[in-house]
Amino acid sequence: MSANLQPMIAVSDLVVSYGNYVAVKGISFDVRQGEHITLLGPSGCGKTTTLRSIAGLERPTRGSILLDGKPVFSADQRINVPVEKRGISMVFQSYAIWPHMTVFDNVAYGLRVRGLPQKEIEAKASQALDLVQLRHAADRPASKLSGGQQQRVALGRAIAFSPSIILFDEPLSNLDAKLRASMRIELKELQHRLGISSVYVTHDQEEALAISDRVIVMNDGKIEQIGTPDEIYSRPTNGFVADFVGSANILPGTIVGPASHHELTVFQLNTGERLNTRASTNSSGAATTVAVRTALIDIRRGFGHRDDRNALEGQVLRRLFHGDFVEYFVNCQGHRVTVRRPPTDIISEGEEVTLLFSPEHAVLLER
Amino acid sequence: MQNLAPPASLWRPSGATKIELLASATVALVCVGLIVYPLFFLLAESINVGDPQTFPPKDIGIDNFIDLSLDLTVLLNTAYVAIAATAMAIAAGFVLAWMLTRTNVPGKALLERLLEIPFYLTPLVGALAWSILAAPKSGFLNQLLVTVVGVSDLLDIYTPFGIAWVMALFEGTVAFVMISAVMKSMDPSLEESSRVTGAGKLRTLFKITLPLVLPGLLGAIVFVFAEMLGSFAAALVLGLPGRFFVVTTAIWQYTLSYPPEYGKASALGLALFGVMFATLSFYRWMVRRGTFATISGKAFQPRSIDMGRARYGLAAICWLYVFVAVILPIAALLLTSCLRFATVIVDQMSFTLQNYETALTLDAVRSALTNSLELGIGVATVGVFVMAVLVWIIYRSRLPGRGAVEYVVMFPQSVPRMVFGLALLTAWLNIPIPLYGTLWVLAIAYFTVLMPLGVRTLSGVVLQIDKSLEECAQVCGATWAYRMRTITVPLLRPGLVAAWLLIFIASVREIGVSIYLMGPNSKVIAPAIVSSWSSAGTELTAAMAMIQTAAVLLAVLLLLSLTAKYFKGA
Repeated sequence: MSANLQPMIAVSDLVVSYGNYVAVKGISFDVRQGEHITLLGPSGCGKTTTLRSIAGLERPTRGSILLDGKPVFSADQRINVPVEKRGISMVFQSYAIWPHMTVFDNVAYGLRVRGLPQKEIEAKASQALDLVQLRHAADRPASKLSGGQQQRVALGRAIAFSPSIILFDEPLSNLDAKLRASMRIELKELQHRLGISSVYVTHDQEEALAISDRVIVMNDGKIEQIGTPDEIYSRPTNGFVADFVGSANILPGTIVGPASHHELTVFQLNTGERLNTRASTNSSGAATTVAVRTALIDIRRGFGHRDDRNALEGQVLRRLFHGDFVEYFVNCQGHRVTVRRPPTDIISEGEEVTLLFSPEHAVLLER
Repeated sequence: MQNLAPPASLWRPSGATKIELLASATVALVCVGLIVYPLFFLLAESINVGDPQTFPPKDIGIDNFIDLSLDLTVLLNTAYVAIAATAMAIAAGFVLAWMLTRTNVPGKALLERLLEIPFYLTPLVGALAWSILAAPKSGFLNQLLVTVVGVSDLLDIYTPFGIAWVMALFEGTVAFVMISAVMKSMDPSLEESSRVTGAGKLRTLFKITLPLVLPGLLGAIVFVFAEMLGSFAAALVLGLPGRFFVVTTAIWQYTLSYPPEYGKASALGLALFGVMFATLSFYRWMVRRGTFATISGKAFQPRSIDMGRARYGLAAICWLYVFVAVILPIAALLLTSCLRFATVIVDQMSFTLQNYETALTLDAVRSALTNSLELGIGVATVGVFVMAVLVWIIYRSRLPGRGAVEYVVMFPQSVPRMVFGLALLTAWLNIPIPLYGTLWVLAIAYFTVLMPLGVRTLSGVVLQIDKSLEECAQVCGATWAYRMRTITVPLLRPGLVAAWLLIFIASVREIGVSIYLMGPNSKVIAPAIVSSWSSAGTELTAAMAMIQTAAVLLAVLLLLSLTAKYFKGA
């Protein structure tokens, strides 16, 4: 086996507890070479604790963490390598910019710690400053920068000493929406160029989907699903993921059995309508739910539209105009279904409509 | 081949080495011992009904406490002075705080600084200054009143009201600071939303503003009352000549009598401590209960009410207060210290620098001055480092029992300073190490009673520094020593210097503990001023007070310029 199949980070059975409170309840995952992975979840789900455990800033209770094949933490072998010896890099939520230093000193810190010759320090720090477009501000005191600039300094400092792993702890959460969007693109660019493996923590699902190779959805100290952004979005395995990532309608009902068309399962809503869903289970008779993304439902005026897609008939209760999209709340026999459409051919409140969505987009959930 | 078993030294239990844990535990234990040990002696002495000089006591009883309850005059005196002083301090503090936080009085920043000065002047210096100003007949103000208006003896500072007046002016500053903080931490949108819902200015004031400020205001009243109960210097200077005793001066009198009645003094001290502790516990309970209202930890930009022309009138009131509490006392002391004979009648004045020359050359006075400065510098320098370790233990370590350490370290602030002095006296008299009568015992005592001040100041700074600033350096690969040198100490430096200056100031102006512990060869300035006041002339005493005040104010100025720079940088 070649060396680059070995994961850069291997977390297994990680448990972190504080007294009686268990923040992380036995999770395992790998980060491959050059891969960008995101831990996504609501606040208090244990994602930051996991990240800090990898950095060495928290001491886990059980499990092990391997960096590039070498154990940095192992409860069984009683290993806990101190933070400063792990050779990783991290961008903090608060940026952690040292206010008593200049921008250059901040960025050069990791290089000076490593005792590099002055020439090399200047070269590498300047290179990092170029990458984050702050060359011009090198001699400014770091405390006199704007939020976006501080964010860049933090990033420059994290990449300056050429680490092979960078950890990001909600680095964009303190920026305003516009700046956040442009920093996302920059981050993705930077990652592409440097080929660094990274773990990124965020509670912003849009951000997670946009910049990751794979997303790990966490809830209550456990992993709910691991997958590519596309997998997480279009094939959520459970209600939590479907609800937390993107926006979805979750409709309760029971599984009837396999459909005549191969690879599909018939699902009956509590109100009687039958839907064709993509099968991921064979257990007929089981009560479960189906998730349908609000953006993947077509809406037509009037009743009686029929094609090979699923159809639900109802009446538009409310309409919210968001600009980039229009949100309709449709009452289908008591189910309140949310639909997002582009802002063209707007339907009025009170109109009767048919909702159409393909079996491919009706995802049967595990629970 | 790779050796999978790592070296055992990489394993660090809860992030600290055993040596670090041991060292911090030792520091914590020593500091706790310094506080608990004297208090134990105070308790033991208070139940000693036999020979007051023997220790441990042979005859034990509660007679000392029974004697106290019969001495009603002292208790009534204390109640009168404390209540009157609290009322004056709170009234002045509330009005000043409201004007300086909620109205557009001109010159706010300067006034706010000036209003803190009386606290640094100390009640002792304040009492001296006001007795120069308002002693019957000879007081400057009385002299002026006789010559200008023709009324004689209008003012007499040697009265219970006079004592309360001086205490309110020079110890009541804390009321202004506390009430200002409450008013500053109130979200203006709470009032604005009341106005928007249709309530008028008056209705908003009574229904929203006052209920929100009330818990904080009550807290300030209780806290200031506790301070006044333990106040010593003003009653000593102004009450003793007329044999008017409050609890603190009564304790002092018991220890002066021959043979010293340590038992009675200790019992009275313990009783005072009990009342003060109960009051302060009540205060803390109230603060905890009242947090719903205003304290969000955020500082708001309070909405200033435009007072129009009236704001110059308000400014005049503020300046009047500054005149009475700062300018007048300092001017009186300065004038007296430069005269052969204290007077305000211009053609009788005869200026001289003789008093300063005497103060700086007379052996007793000079040694008191140098001792105080040495103690201030020494205690501040050593203290800052030990207290920094304590702060680290309490707020950043995972040492078991750090909560208890915090409680004990903060404990001296609920013990009246001069009761603690008495406790230290009995404790250090009865220890086989011959420390009593040396500067060392004073140094240890200062360190003990100033621990709350230092720890509070340093913790404020430590808690302000985001933990991630240190963590980030760690992630960058910096070792503990490298981190300390490049990140932690530089960030802490302003706080360390501020704490140093505050401890220095508090040491130089210390009286409650010093008065018990200084010996013939270890005199310090504040008690020396007291004894000079009763034995030598007013003019020499004024010169000594001016020298002490100059040293303190110099340190205050340094502190202010430092904090100004610090806040501009942050």
